[in-house]
Amino acid sequence: MKHLLLTAFSVVVVALSGCASFKTAAPGDPLEPINRGVFSFNNTFDHYLFKPIAKGYDAVVPTPVKTGVSNVFQNMSDAQSVVSDALQLKGSKLGDDLGRVILNSTVGLGGIFDLATPMGIERGNEDLGQTLGYWGIGAGPYLVLPFMGPSSLRDSVGRVAEGQYDPLSQVSSVPARNSLTGLRVVDARVALFPVEGLANQAALDRYTFFRSAYLQRRESLVLDGKRPKE
Amino acid sequence: MVSIRQWWVQVSVALAASVALAASAQVAPDAQVKAVATEVTTVLKNDAGILNNQAKLRELIESKLAPNFNFARMTQLAMGRNWSKASPEQQAALSKEFKTLLVRTYSASLSNFKNNTIDYRPLRMQPSDTDVTVKTVVQQTNGQGIPIDYSMEKAADGSWKAYDVAVAGVSLVTNYREEFNNVIGNQGVDALIKQLQSKNK
Repeated sequence: MKHLLLTAFSVVVVALSGCASFKTAAPGDPLEPINRGVFSFNNTFDHYLFKPIAKGYDAVVPTPVKTGVSNVFQNMSDAQSVVSDALQLKGSKLGDDLGRVILNSTVGLGGIFDLATPMGIERGNEDLGQTLGYWGIGAGPYLVLPFMGPSSLRDSVGRVAEGQYDPLSQVSSVPARNSLTGLRVVDARVALFPVEGLANQAALDRYTFFRSAYLQRRESLVLDGKRPKE
Repeated sequence: MVSIRQWWVQVSVALAASVALAASAQVAPDAQVKAVATEVTTVLKNDAGILNNQAKLRELIESKLAPNFNFARMTQLAMGRNWSKASPEQQAALSKEFKTLLVRTYSASLSNFKNNTIDYRPLRMQPSDTDVTVKTVVQQTNGQGIPIDYSMEKAADGSWKAYDVAVAGVSLVTNYREEFNNVIGNQGVDALIKQLQSKNK
């Protein structure tokens, strides 16, 4: 099923990028008309369903539990980061992320407690999209994915590949796996509350605002913050 | 209620600071960022109610932060090649509205930073430099630091003013350049001024 989706997706992308450019399309965003449609669908979905769920979770669940939940998922993402650190031959980040995962998974009781941060071990924050970028692959067309939001062709490929070694995919019980995946999504949504207010205040056009911010942010992550001056 | 003694201490500190500033003729840009950030965060910590009072917050930013920014230059950079298409009146209107928008956005973002500490990265600069980037990292409680870089330029009078801020690699000027360019390309400069005005209402 996954492969079928991926194939269908690539066919659509290739077909669309073959078309003559759209009238209003910005450079780097040849799919703007479609992206805008998905963006607006995501906003509606978020407004009526997703955000209310996240708000409810945020209001009902006690802070220590929420922190524990966030820490467990961050720990999983640190573990995935290790793979990307290695693929980019970044020794110091690899050491940090590996140290974080080992410490937090054991003494931190499966990642519930983040002991590494107070000790000053920083999160490497790497992923496969960044790894592809590191080895010279450009972002490709900007994409707004249904439910998931801003991405690029390169980062979407990275995400799909990362799904192959997602710790949650190791959970054998399907209901448990689905619940945990849902919880992870809600946890990530709650973390967006502060940013979202800021974007609404700052943006003239939310679509352009998010596109520019996403592409700049990813570029900066690929370059590890060493952004060349204009 | 400020006691006479506290007031006196504040006055002497302010006087001493202005004398020191005058004596050194110019402050290093990183020291300037640090002084301003420290001043603002101190107010935020000591005045618990200020975060719920947008008017007071804006006042704080207008008086403490805004003088350290070159808003005319920021507007010009955000306009890019469209700047020359605007008349002097349009340019003045754009600078004014853009400044208001930035001050409001900044006020709205401050509440996110109340419990975080700021690290200042060492600044590498030559005495002759007139354009530097001051790098800071806002440390969050979850271990993820948010880098905030201030691009600063030396004015003719020797003072440093910021003309761009990049939060986590996202440059404010670049972000707005795309938005401005879109609006101007489709509807013209006056439409952009109108949009900014209605946003600021």
